[in-house]
Formats: sequence, C-alpha cells, structure tokens
Amino acid sequence: MAFNPLEEAGIPVEDQFRSWSELNVDPYDKWDVDPYTRTRVILMNGIEVESIIFSHQFARQTDDLELKQRLALTRRIDQQQQKVVNGLNPGEQTPLETTIGYEQVAVDLTAWLARHEPDPQLKVALDFALLEDFDHLYRYANLYELLHGGKADALTQHLTEIMPGRPTFVEHRHPYDDVRPHFETHTVDPLSRMHVMTIVAGEQQTMNFYMNHASDWIEPIARGLYSEIAMIEEQHVTHYESLLDPLDSWLANWVFHEYNEVYLYSSMMEQETDRRIKAIWELHCNMELGQLQVACDSMRRLEGREPAELLPPSIPDTPVTFEPNKEYVRQVLEATVDLRTDGTEYVPVDELPGDHRYFAMQKLLNDGGTPSEMVIDQNREAQGREYRDEIEGDHPIAELQDTARS
Amino acid sequence: MATLTPTTASGATAAVGPMVYVDPARVHPPTTFEELIGDSGLNGPFIADLLSDMLAHERAGSHLYRSVHGRTLNPVLESQYEHFGEETQEHVATLEDLIATLGGDPQYVSAAARATEKSGTGLVESTYLLGGSVDALTRELVMLEAVFLAEAKDHANWEGLGQLAPLLPDAARDPVAAAVEKVKTQEDEHLTWARKTRGQLVMLQAETPAPPPAITPPDELIERIQQMLA
Repeated sequence: MAFNPLEEAGIPVEDQFRSWSELNVDPYDKWDVDPYTRTRVILMNGIEVESIIFSHQFARQTDDLELKQRLALTRRIDQQQQKVVNGLNPGEQTPLETTIGYEQVAVDLTAWLARHEPDPQLKVALDFALLEDFDHLYRYANLYELLHGGKADALTQHLTEIMPGRPTFVEHRHPYDDVRPHFETHTVDPLSRMHVMTIVAGEQQTMNFYMNHASDWIEPIARGLYSEIAMIEEQHVTHYESLLDPLDSWLANWVFHEYNEVYLYSSMMEQETDRRIKAIWELHCNMELGQLQVACDSMRRLEGREPAELLPPSIPDTPVTFEPNKEYVRQVLEATVDLRTDGTEYVPVDELPGDHRYFAMQKLLNDGGTPSEMVIDQNREAQGREYRDEIEGDHPIAELQDTARS
Repeated sequence: MATLTPTTASGATAAVGPMVYVDPARVHPPTTFEELIGDSGLNGPFIADLLSDMLAHERAGSHLYRSVHGRTLNPVLESQYEHFGEETQEHVATLEDLIATLGGDPQYVSAAARATEKSGTGLVESTYLLGGSVDALTRELVMLEAVFLAEAKDHANWEGLGQLAPLLPDAARDPVAAAVEKVKTQEDEHLTWARKTRGQLVMLQAETPAPPPAITPPDELIERIQQMLA
C-alpha cells in the first residue's frame, strides 16, 4: 500500500466533475450491508464535510483571485464526492439507525487509532473519548429498542459490543476542562497528525449530525437524548481539535487535508468488501491525488515551500482499518473508566476536590433528570430489561454490570 | 544539505511549553550549551534557544525568497531575489554547522523559533492573501517590503551574535566569530539593497506621472514593472 502521493498525478481536477446521474448513486441495502462498509461511508462523508468546511474557512482569509478559484474548484469536487459518499446511505435507514452506525464508527475508529497511535499522550486523548462514545452506542441502542422495538445488533452484527462505557451523565464537564495541549508540528509523527485530523473530522460530523437531527423526533426522550449527546460531541470536537498545532499555515493545512484524504481513501479501498463501493473509494483516491497536486502547487508558488519538506516520503503502510476492538475497549474501560479532566490533565474522579467546577456543572446540567439515564430506565420498564450486546462476557466493571439480569 | 523544515524525518526536537506537548522521545533537553558556556556567566539554554530562533528566521527567509522570486514581474528583482535566496539557504547551513560545532542540535525548534516561524509565515502570507486588494505594482512593493522587514531582523540577529562572540569562552568564541564574519557582509548587502531598492521603487512611482494602476491596462502595467530599476 505504501506509495508517495507526491509522485502520483491522479486525475486532473478539471476532469473530476460528474453529472447529476453519476452523483445519484444507488444506496446499499441496510440489512445486507457489511457494518464496516456503513462505517466507512459515515467516516468518509465526515472527511469530505471537514474538507469542505476547511476550504470555506480558508477562502474567507483571502481575496487572491487565483487562490480563491483553486479553493472553489477543489471544494466543488469535494462537494460532489460528499454527495456520492453520503448518497450510499439508503433512505430506508432511519436517522436513529444511521446514528447507531455513527457510534459504531466512533468506537471502532477511535479504538483502532488509539491502538496504532505512536504518541503516548495522544493515545490517552483517544482512549479518554473512546469510553464516552462507547457509552453513547449503548444509550442509542436502548432508544432504538424503546421506540422501534429494533435490536441494534442487527446493524452492528456483534462486531462491536453494546454496553455502558463511561456513563454519559458523568461526561458533562466544564468547557475549560475540554481543552488539551497540542502536539508540536515539527516533532509530531506524521501518522499521529493524520490520526488527529481524522478523529477531528469524524467527531465534527457526529456533532453536526446530532445538532441537526434532535428535532426530527416527536418523542421528548429522543429529542433530549440527541441534544445531550450532541453536547458531548461538542466537547469531543473541542478536545480533539485542541491537539492540532496552530503553528501550521493555511496552505500547510490544505496540503495536510488532501494528503490525509489520499491515505484514508486508499485505506478504505484496501479493505472494502463491496466491489461497487470499492470502485468509488478507488476513484476518489485518484481524485484526491489530483487535488493534492493543486494544493502542493499553491504551496510551492505562494509560500515558497516544497511539500516534500513537510510530508513523509510515503503514506503509512498501515491502512486505517475497521475491525472489532472488543478486548481493547474492555481493557481501556477497566483501566480508565473513572478518569475525568482537570484543566489539561486527566485525573481519577476521586482526586477532584469537592468544590471542583466539574461537580458544579454536573449539578447544574443534570438537575431535573438526564435523558441518557431516562432512556435506559424507560426501556427497562418497557422490556423488563435494558438492551445490551455483551459478547465477551459480563461487563468488566462491577458497578456497570446489568443488575436486572444477574 | 540544509533543512528548511524540521520534521521527524530530519530528527526534529522541541521544548515542551504550557500548551505544547512533545513526544518524550523528541523533547529537547533544556541544558544544552552549559558545558560550552562554562563559567562565563552566560545563559546557555537561552543562547541555544536564540540560535534556534535565528535558524528559524533564516529558514523562513529561504521560503520568502523562493516565493517572491517566483512571483515578481521585474527581472532585476527576480535576479536579486534568486541570488539572496541562495545566500540565505547558505546561511541556514552555516547556522546548522555552527550549532552542531557548539554541541547543540540544529534540528531543535525552540519556543522562540516557533514564534519566529509564525511571524515568518505571516510575512509571506501578507504578500499573497490580500492579492486581490492590490494591483500588480503595489504587489511588487508589498513583496519587497516583506523582504526588507525580514532582512532587518536578520541583520539584527547576526549583529547580536557578533556582540555576543567576545563574551564566549575560547572554544565557542572562534566558531561564532567565524560564522558571523562569513555571513555579516552578505547580511549588510541584503539589508542595504532591500532598503535602497524599496526607496527607489517608492520614489520612482512618486516622481513618474502615470495613470493610477487600477485603471492602467494590465499589459502596460506589467511593462512599467518590468522596466523599473532597469
């Protein structure tokens, strides 16, 4: 898989436009699809959305006609790519089913990145938020059963366990405690940079999705749960984006975005089992190579920098892979479920002083009930038990074991 | 070969800051130069950071010269930017050699170097981000002013190092003085040229009656730019 994207021309950007009929792709079948094809679709949609948002922000910093036109051109292509990728989601897949897919992405992407993260501090950051997203999957799975009688494992197909993580109601921190120190751009491992950019895009997409879908529902429990978890995703975007070094220039960031997209599409292509969708990943990889050339050319011409100065000689030979991480998640749960944050530090909850702002936020926000707890109570009442998919045995944390079952 | 952008591949190290996290394997030890400075009473870690800062400025200067060399429409400026850019890249190599000779790490990026890199990036960005606000003639001045500002700091950097040299113990004094000696004349020339040429461009425009650039046909404007300084 390892190759140097700078040596690949890809498809020239001017040749990348597609007609409406080409953009209007056939969606996958929600019951036949490999769950990890669904997660790849969700991730790459988020990656394209991030690319588009970044490009718009960059365009607002300049009035240079040629640069703005180049950004407009590559951004329009990004928009077409996003339409194709997001169009793979079928209309019959409800927003709640898509949400379960989003949380399966959050669990298995974050866990995979953490397992392969060379920098110990960045690994801690990934592990920390992993347990929170892991809990969200369990909460939404219970909402799914409560509202529709559906079993989330029909979507996740037992590849990802569904049980409590760090309980959502304890995740509500003071905003000051979501900000982390950042990596140093010269010394960061290129793989780490791409890990952080990828998780920022993924979490941002999840935040945006929940921000916009909370109002889809009539049921107050669903509206409340989406709003509550959307606020945690806001915390996660704050948490992850603060890991990025603000020293990098706009042009460097543009190059990094395109480079990361090449890496991710080639990763998705390598593991995709659906031949039709694999061809889309391959096409988009070649398109990203063409877009990378435009960004690199702009960097050379305007900033006087050779992209090879700051990029690795080849993309990592380890493709980002969706695969089960059950044992890893259980280990992280056992080791860190009680962690909270105090400023930029991670600390066990019993080391926080009683007057810490964390407890004040907890009291204020959870006053009057917490949707993420209410959904479990309501589903337990409706079904006589809560919904879990514990494949590897009982929950590793005694306090989080299913008391109704035992 | 000089490193223009330190990375993990080139062996970059950095210092931890209040909000800067560095992988423990890449943290620069804060005691560099202590042995070399000896009992001179000088601040070794500060001097290590200062040299890293100077190096960051030379590296940013190399990028600036590459950028303006590729975009100027004036052949005199183009030729001089290319020439000074080559010399600036030599200054990067000179500083890297000096730091290594003093027992330091040329791949170390100090906190001051990070700040300097940010201002260097801003200087280059000032020459193109508002490209749509300026006409071709004004753009030439903007690029030249960026060079002038960069050279002013560059000159001050080497002048400062020259003042520091006599205070250093013998083992450090000679290589520092030699590096300053090697570069100082060129830095004098860079700054003098940038100041003088900027003045010339300003006076040329002030003393040459012509329609405003905004209403001048592009071909005519380019011709005016190409003939300036001829």
